[in-house]
Amino acid sequence: MKPLAVATQSIGNQPIDQSLQTGKRSVRYETILLVIVALVVVIIAIGSHGNFWSSSNLTSLLVDAAITAVPAIGMTMVIVMGGIDVSIGSVVGLTATVAGLAFEQNWPIALVVLLTLATGAIAGLINAWFIASRKLPPIIVTLGTMSIWRAVVYALLGGNWISTIPMTLTAWFVLDKLWIIPWSFVLTVVLVLIAAYMLRRRPMGRHVYAIGSNEEAASVLGLPTKRVKYMAYVSLGALTAIAALMTLGQSPLVQATTGSGFELDVIAAVVIGGTSILGGRGTVIGSLLGAILTQLISDGVILFQIQPFWNGVVTGAMIIIAVIMSLLNQRGAAHE
Amino acid sequence: MSRGEGVFRKIGENYGVLILVLVFTVIGSNILQPGILSLQNVSSMITFGVEIGLIALGETLVILGGGGGIDLSVGSMYAVSQVVVGLLAQRNVNILLAVAAGLATGVAMGFVNGLLVTRVKIPAIITTLATMYAFSGVALLLTDGIDVSAFPASYSFIGQGLIGGLPAQFVLLYIPAALLLWIVLSKTVYGQQLYLTGTNQLAAVLSGINVKQVRMWTYVITGFLTAVAGVVDSSRLVTARPDAGATANLAAITIAVLGGTSIFGGKGSVWGTAIATLVITLVSYSFSLANINSVIETGTIGGVLIVVILFQGYLARWFARGGRVSVKA
Repeated sequence: MKPLAVATQSIGNQPIDQSLQTGKRSVRYETILLVIVALVVVIIAIGSHGNFWSSSNLTSLLVDAAITAVPAIGMTMVIVMGGIDVSIGSVVGLTATVAGLAFEQNWPIALVVLLTLATGAIAGLINAWFIASRKLPPIIVTLGTMSIWRAVVYALLGGNWISTIPMTLTAWFVLDKLWIIPWSFVLTVVLVLIAAYMLRRRPMGRHVYAIGSNEEAASVLGLPTKRVKYMAYVSLGALTAIAALMTLGQSPLVQATTGSGFELDVIAAVVIGGTSILGGRGTVIGSLLGAILTQLISDGVILFQIQPFWNGVVTGAMIIIAVIMSLLNQRGAAHE
Repeated sequence: MSRGEGVFRKIGENYGVLILVLVFTVIGSNILQPGILSLQNVSSMITFGVEIGLIALGETLVILGGGGGIDLSVGSMYAVSQVVVGLLAQRNVNILLAVAAGLATGVAMGFVNGLLVTRVKIPAIITTLATMYAFSGVALLLTDGIDVSAFPASYSFIGQGLIGGLPAQFVLLYIPAALLLWIVLSKTVYGQQLYLTGTNQLAAVLSGINVKQVRMWTYVITGFLTAVAGVVDSSRLVTARPDAGATANLAAITIAVLGGTSIFGGKGSVWGTAIATLVITLVSYSFSLANINSVIETGTIGGVLIVVILFQGYLARWFARGGRVSVKA
């Protein structure tokens, strides 16, 4: 009995060997990523003849990065545990629609925010039930809920637009700034730091890595695997709802296609941020940098007036390259 | 046990969910659209079903191969291959050559998927999610996002012609493809290797099967079948659409799973997929006859996917017990 208890504790409270390695490796990867981000900034800044530094471009870039990075926190946990969620684009649509309908009824903004967050959390809860309790494959479940939420959005909107979004959201997330940084980005950094602390230091966070490294072992050791999965998918849902509110602040309009394709941005940010798709490795700080990098590139596509159709090709290629790099890195580590 | 009971059990285990769903769909579609099963409707339904049916056959092989195999990029490959045919036809290339180039493009894209999954060892979900966006971007780039419609008149035969009163694409393409794949899966060494690879990868490796190559072929075949479907689509509409097939992956996966393909690999059949194609086509067709928006239709298919996969486990066990309610043991 005793060794088991000790083993559980060592996973629960203190980083075990594997996790220490993870930490060391990700710091290196994050440094590389930071250098790449800086390089891309320099290239775009020079190539765009200074348009990059315009206040409006910087603001929209940082808000875009925030919108991607907030759900990326939850997506990091989900992918670290070997899961995936492709439904979040539709969840953005669903939560934005619920918010829009509530705004139409002149609900007070605090209540609307609560309702939106609750909607996102419930969408996450439904995914979690199928995935954690019924043990169904995450890709199948979320592919299904992706199309279902999109249909619900369509049914709720009935082909109309909602444009009665109060200016307060735009003020909160886009216009009001801390020096030159929009508050939405500040909020994102705070959320990322909290999540980084939870994942690195708190038992629940350590469980995420333990499940990702070896779910069976984690379960045998008595870790609450089901509860941790619920935590990850539900927080992803709620964080997606925050992203939806930020989206409404940026462009105050809800339509049937709001949020479609958004899941790729977030998955790309997480994978480019160094999270291993084989599970067990990844940090939210990496994902934040990944979000900044992907948004920088789509910003560059606009500034350089390149065909926007390149976006999908570039993002797809970047995912593949990032995964190959992380696989090589992992295989290299295994040989050491 | 009598022979009849054995057959019942065998069919029940393999196709139980499917037959139930088929019955419900036939009843449901008749309520939604009375008289939907008229001869003329059935004929147009077959016309619609061929494209997704071909794609679903490929998807079945990929999922059957196990190891987390899945292909989310089918819709994009479907768009790219038809766009290639359309652009070449627009430049007055011989239409047979253009079609051959379109099919080769499909094979090449399937090869890229297979290479990344089996050799570079990137999980299929991520590989095909990335190539789904990349290929779709390629289709849009090639055409600037505009439909291409410059086919010679003869081209429309594949998608609009009739042979013996039946749609040409059904007789000339779907039936031969399904028969060929049925023979490959049930009568050839490759078929046995694929089932074993899907059931137990380690056992397959130990018995000397080149698992990588076996799985590689499933992606290449899917690329090819998807390109054939793309040709049929562009021929039926006499237009190549760069944004075609946006929801084809969901429909193809739903059909495969509904047809009894185990998402964990090793189980699945051509006949199951063929019957499931009928079900999904019936749903799509009755929805479009009833003027229900395609977003709602896609949502319904997503719901079917989740419900089927949820109940597949329960029903398989129920039929395995010979259809009796078990005393809790």
